[in-house]
Amino acid sequence: MRYLIVGGGVAGTTAAEELRKRDASAEVTILSEEHHPLYSRVLLPHYMKGKVPRERVFLKRDAWYADQNIELVTGVLATHLDGRNKFVAGSDGREYPYDKLLIATGGEVRSLDEDLRGVSYFRTLDDADQFLQLVTEQGNRARGVVYGGGFIACEYINLFQHFGIPTTVIHRGSHFWTRSLLSEAGELIAKTLNTGGVELHENTSLQSLTGDSELQGIVTSAGEYSATILGVGIGIEPDLSWLRDAGVEVGTGVKASAFLETNVPDVFTAGDIAEFDDPITGRQLQIGNWMNAMSQGRTVTKSMIGERTSFQLVSSYATNVLGLEIIFVGDVERAAAEQIQVIGSVADGGITQVFERGGRIVGGVLIGRNTDRAPITKAIQEKQSFSSLNLL
Amino acid sequence: MPRIRVMVDPDLCIGAASCVTIAPETFQLNEENKAWVFDHGQEPEGHTYERWLEVTDDEKENIILAAQSCPTLAIFIFDEAGTQLFPET
Repeated sequence: MRYLIVGGGVAGTTAAEELRKRDASAEVTILSEEHHPLYSRVLLPHYMKGKVPRERVFLKRDAWYADQNIELVTGVLATHLDGRNKFVAGSDGREYPYDKLLIATGGEVRSLDEDLRGVSYFRTLDDADQFLQLVTEQGNRARGVVYGGGFIACEYINLFQHFGIPTTVIHRGSHFWTRSLLSEAGELIAKTLNTGGVELHENTSLQSLTGDSELQGIVTSAGEYSATILGVGIGIEPDLSWLRDAGVEVGTGVKASAFLETNVPDVFTAGDIAEFDDPITGRQLQIGNWMNAMSQGRTVTKSMIGERTSFQLVSSYATNVLGLEIIFVGDVERAAAEQIQVIGSVADGGITQVFERGGRIVGGVLIGRNTDRAPITKAIQEKQSFSSLNLL
Repeated sequence: MPRIRVMVDPDLCIGAASCVTIAPETFQLNEENKAWVFDHGQEPEGHTYERWLEVTDDEKENIILAAQSCPTLAIFIFDEAGTQLFPET
């Protein structure tokens, strides 16, 4: 049996490891765009702040792939899929045949049209290295601007704060995470940023960059700001064209059943790119976090070896911005909720939003209210209604 | 039954909760969103980030799986002789 995995992140590598456990003689190949063995993207901020050395971000060593007899092909992008003749063509000009294929390519960062030295993205280890180099080179002349209102923006704010770099944040929405948060929760985050000395400009879009080869400033709809490092966190945008061309059904990601199968036989998907039927919340979800990617990498293996298993997980993601804890659990899309209950207030320093659909809880956003996490997770799993939840 | 020492580094823990999902009898998040170590769902000497556990081989394997799932490698596991089982050094 030949298993081909496109994507060397946590979803793909976990799947490779599980496949090897289940089938000692199978051929297992991973195609990875990056040049590194598996590392933890979640550890990158720890590395950048000097809390762990660079070598600690690696979760696998080169020797591990050899020991496991897993072929890791690095620096190669999949460019073409032939689902009938069952092969993937790589950017290296090679054709990679498969019996079962896993698409676990994650997402590409959405980028600006312009580029200057000083523009920073935050997805890979190379991005982290580049950011550190900019900070080191610029010293106390560094001026930080963050463009975005989500998880990556929070990481940049914390990093600039850590390095003592003056920080301006601009985002297009009226507050952070406009797709999930109501205005009161957004206000709590804005208040935390203001208290922390961050200059915040809401409802503001980036228009252009200034500087010759090095970034000197930005022009926005609200005015011009000086900037030597611009941290861009405006979402991810997976490359789906090669899959669409092959007849794979795509939406914002790769469409998949609850068993993580695509519409093309013997082609499966897992991780950030999977837009899967979630049996717990009864809706198609696409989730970009570590827990989801790792768990899907494990579950999809069962479906790939013929033990069809549905993916069942209430996944969550936690971050903090300037010490304010923020946790997302389950399905937190405002547009898909029928009711959103709010507990707490800006004055209390903590707000929880509970998302309901069809009379039961499907998600929660907890800001400064960590202890709501366990009961909300349980309520989602057990399909309880808000009235049975007791949060005070 | 194997005896292991399980330790969470609260400086590294970010409350991703992968460990809680895989081994809820051993890990639960506290109000600071960091994982306390439990002994089969109990806390005999109160809250702690570190404890000795007597576990079956299956439980040990599952706790190591939970440690492997941690995106910040904040969980350390040692055997009775003090050898670090995870992360592999």
